[in-house]
Amino acid sequence: MASGSDEGLGFGSEDIDASSISALPTEVELLKRAWRNEKASPEILQFQEDVVTNARLQIEHMEETVEAYEEDGKDALTVSLYQMDLDRTEFLLRSYLRTRLQKIEKYMIHISKTELWNRLSKAEQNFATSCKENMENHLKQSVLSRLPYGYQDFCKQSISSEEDDMVPQPQLDTFVFCKSKKTVGSFQLDEGGDEVVDLIADDLYVLRYKSIKPLVETGQIDLV
Amino acid sequence: MYGRTASRLVKELASNEANQLSSFNNDLVDQVIKECDEHHLELQNMMRKIQNEGLDIQTTRNADHFGSVIHHLSLSRNKRCLMAYVYNRAQIIQDLRWKVGHTLPQEIKEKLNHREVEYFKNHSDALEKYISGLDLDLTVDMVPPKDPYLKVRVLEDIGHVPLGDQSSNLAQHSIHFLKRTDAERFISLGLMEELPG
Repeated sequence: MASGSDEGLGFGSEDIDASSISALPTEVELLKRAWRNEKASPEILQFQEDVVTNARLQIEHMEETVEAYEEDGKDALTVSLYQMDLDRTEFLLRSYLRTRLQKIEKYMIHISKTELWNRLSKAEQNFATSCKENMENHLKQSVLSRLPYGYQDFCKQSISSEEDDMVPQPQLDTFVFCKSKKTVGSFQLDEGGDEVVDLIADDLYVLRYKSIKPLVETGQIDLV
Repeated sequence: MYGRTASRLVKELASNEANQLSSFNNDLVDQVIKECDEHHLELQNMMRKIQNEGLDIQTTRNADHFGSVIHHLSLSRNKRCLMAYVYNRAQIIQDLRWKVGHTLPQEIKEKLNHREVEYFKNHSDALEKYISGLDLDLTVDMVPPKDPYLKVRVLEDIGHVPLGDQSSNLAQHSIHFLKRTDAERFISLGLMEELPG
């Protein structure tokens, strides 16, 4: 899986016009990276709009290529290899968007109340809004409206709670596998400064998501 | 004992197999809500008593104060249990959209109450709106593709279906070699099975 798209490029260099697909590795690589990060991170990450747009263009391009080859009567093996490559890219794209939706479905209330909201695309925001409305209505009708006055709030346990104490949130101190792209140097894992780790390029680490969160957000480290 | 009924609701959730639903327990939910009302009544009585005695409600620490705290905490706990019950069921229900599509099979529908059926419908609509705006079907391709084609056996008569540039007769028990994207929707509906090799 990991090297699927690279292999796809290596085939049939003589009879296939390589220039028509030259943009492929970077676009797909970027998508794969966004997908992997999103899959491994417990909370929703910034929506990669450019990556998605480019990947969709790329997919269109690949579809045209495959169709053109089919019409030209290129040999079936070549066509099916290209088809497979296309399928893989499509899977990545779908899975990326799907993973995000599933996170929204899970933490809709938390997301809509925090700065995570800005990480969503416009369409995702619309989805999250209706998600939340549906859930709120459902809970209101099933439970909240039947409880005594003072205990009917959606996000608070009772009227005496000062802040929202009934909102499911992602577990940020879960452990994640990550790989640094370049040497970050010594990095402080906790606020006290007792735990410091030396992040070396291409080394694999298992760390708490919470402590490397800023590095993930700035793209210095990749989750795997 | 206070809160025991509510804990049964949560236990019921926990004892279900992952992502499986049992029938919505109306009786138990009603009982817990009744308990909540009783707590609330007690709570108000005690508060009123403190006030009638001319004591400051913020600073008084007598038997009535602690009694009311207990009722308040029990009520909050009941609320948490009720919410957890309904919320977690709703999470399972919305996951169904990814697994079975927009129509619920009868055997699952029987386990939901009418509000949950309604919730499923609303949630599906929201998801469909997003997907149609995207112009890319996200409900296919659930597992990473291995081969663009699949060998499948038809389990229930599907009839003539346009696939690609031709129409195939998907009769019961017939075996076909289909594009993965075409086959997947039938497989998820349980109309086809994938054959190994």
